[in-house]
Amino acid sequence: MTPSESRPIVCATRGGQASRRTQERAIALSQERGAPLIFLFATDPSFAGLQDGTMQAALTDELLRMGHSLLCIAEARAEKQGQEAQKAVKCGAAWEIIEEYLQQVNANTLVIGMPQSDAALQASEPGEVHRFAEKLRQTTDIEVIVVE
Amino acid sequence: MEEFLAAETLIVILMMVATLVAIAVRRVRLPYTVSLVLVGLVISLQQTLSVEITPELILALFVPPLLFEAAFHLDLKMLRDNLVPIMMLAVPGVLVSTLLVGGIVTLGAGLPLTATVAFGALIAATDPVAVVALFRALGVPRRLAVAVEGESLFNDGTAIVIFRIALAAALTGVFDPLTSLFDFLRVSVGGMAVGLALGWLAAQLIARLDDRLIVTTITTLLAYGAYLIAEFFHVSGVLAVVVAGLVSGSVGLAGATPTTKIMLFNLWEFLAFLANSFVFLLIGINVNLPRLWLNLWPIVVAVLAVLISRAVVVYGFSFVTHLTKRSRPHIPLTWRHVLFWGGQRGAISLALALTLPAALPEQDTLQAMTFGVVLFSLLIQGTTIQFLLQGLGLIQLSAPHKEREIRLGRLFATQAGLRRLEQLHREGLLTDEMWLGLREDYRQAQEHLLEQMNQLFVEHVEMEREMLLQARREALQAERGAMGDALRRGLISEDTYEELVNDVDNRLEALGMIQAAIHSSGQSKGGHQ
Repeated sequence: MTPSESRPIVCATRGGQASRRTQERAIALSQERGAPLIFLFATDPSFAGLQDGTMQAALTDELLRMGHSLLCIAEARAEKQGQEAQKAVKCGAAWEIIEEYLQQVNANTLVIGMPQSDAALQASEPGEVHRFAEKLRQTTDIEVIVVE
Repeated sequence: MEEFLAAETLIVILMMVATLVAIAVRRVRLPYTVSLVLVGLVISLQQTLSVEITPELILALFVPPLLFEAAFHLDLKMLRDNLVPIMMLAVPGVLVSTLLVGGIVTLGAGLPLTATVAFGALIAATDPVAVVALFRALGVPRRLAVAVEGESLFNDGTAIVIFRIALAAALTGVFDPLTSLFDFLRVSVGGMAVGLALGWLAAQLIARLDDRLIVTTITTLLAYGAYLIAEFFHVSGVLAVVVAGLVSGSVGLAGATPTTKIMLFNLWEFLAFLANSFVFLLIGINVNLPRLWLNLWPIVVAVLAVLISRAVVVYGFSFVTHLTKRSRPHIPLTWRHVLFWGGQRGAISLALALTLPAALPEQDTLQAMTFGVVLFSLLIQGTTIQFLLQGLGLIQLSAPHKEREIRLGRLFATQAGLRRLEQLHREGLLTDEMWLGLREDYRQAQEHLLEQMNQLFVEHVEMEREMLLQARREALQAERGAMGDALRRGLISEDTYEELVNDVDNRLEALGMIQAAIHSSGQSKGGHQ
């Protein structure tokens, strides 16, 4: 086992349209490389712009609970395929949180999904994911796989 | 006393009819408001109920809660984002539409221009109640719903002001453009100022008072008070109610507790439902079919004029907005089709038509034309808009969502069937062999449905997150109900109940925010999947 193989694969997922493909890709990759798999849910409650502390706490807690449930589903999916997985739910500015977590666990690979902007109201910027991936590739030795 | 009892009996009968219609439309594919008009028409033909519809009844009693509720619920941020196209349609759009309708009706029906311009103004007020209800049920993009509702809220005010100026000109034969412009500005700005002042005052009180009942009373006072005070000062009561609703709904609600918000939303939803039911039922009851038949040609001309002017305004103004502002708030072409066909006419137009004085020689024809256009828009446009939305692919609750609902419904039904069979077996009405055979059959069906649900989530992963949120919402509502039980059984004190319920309400509101964020932006901040 080479050093890179023992370093974990982190799959950042949030339950969107590409999440299933992203999770499947991460599961397949970790089985292929024999590397540990971690599902990561990072959420940023600041999107609501809340001032009220009680409301902010309720929103944060509900986001974390939703994240935990989504990761439990992903974990069960991995286990069904014979792959053990860990899960981590984090709160804060999403890109920073992901980067920090990757360094914390000394990740070898990040598998991340591309948001679909098919709905009339969707304002996600798929370019953001690519910019983030490019930045990680340039500043760290982490392999980044963007699942379209 | 007898008069009072007669009025009370009438109200009870109307409420009963409305309730029966509301129950019936759950099984019939017809918009609620359209069904009310049809039932009203049947009642009018049988002459079993006679209620006179007066402009005061509509404008002072039913319109304030309808406008206030719509403004109170409107997403201010989304309204602000789309303000340019909305105001283009609601102010210059109404003016152009008034003149176009006036011109076409004069040419086609041979009525004097002074009278037809007044008709053009009164018929310019759109009433999207049926359309918006359909939007909510079908999951049409929220920005489109805001555009339709926002336009309607503001064009009501503009149409009323222009109508009064046009009517004065028709009666006196004098039209001074400068004085009219000044009057238009005075009445509009004055109405908005009254609404702004009262709305701000109410918002401050709502934010400071943590008492559900007082806050609810304040909003009721505000809706009717804003209208009455503005009318007292001879400025636009309708615009006053709209602005008061917008300000109190956005500024005031920001400081209110979730428990208060839930009570306010429930109350206003109920009041609007009641006002809507009465208005559309009364419209149906007051339709005079022989009178409409006598005025058939002017009505046909009026319908054509309204459709043509709507097309010119919607497509023309959206094109101008698109040229002047390249990015958002651009109105896509498919949305313009919906704005065109969804521009229905209703309560405000009828109320204004009923204020036409007998001194106006064309009073009878103009009133018949108004009823004709309102009926056309409700019965033809109201029943076909759904097909337009489907054809344009604007229904977001698409095939997979429908499929999920069907599978979920079948699963619930299968489980209920199994429970019933178990009960029959326990009661000795089914033999052991029969029970075992049926149970196996039901279990297989259940497993098959569960497998189908699972497959659906594999194909449409995003629904998994929606299902989780929906399940969590239902669990929280069950928790809220259980807290009420605990209070009634004396297990917890009133204070503890309030504290616990507030927490659940906060969480329910948080789920709403998450849902809205998923729908509107895919959580653009770090929007990975």
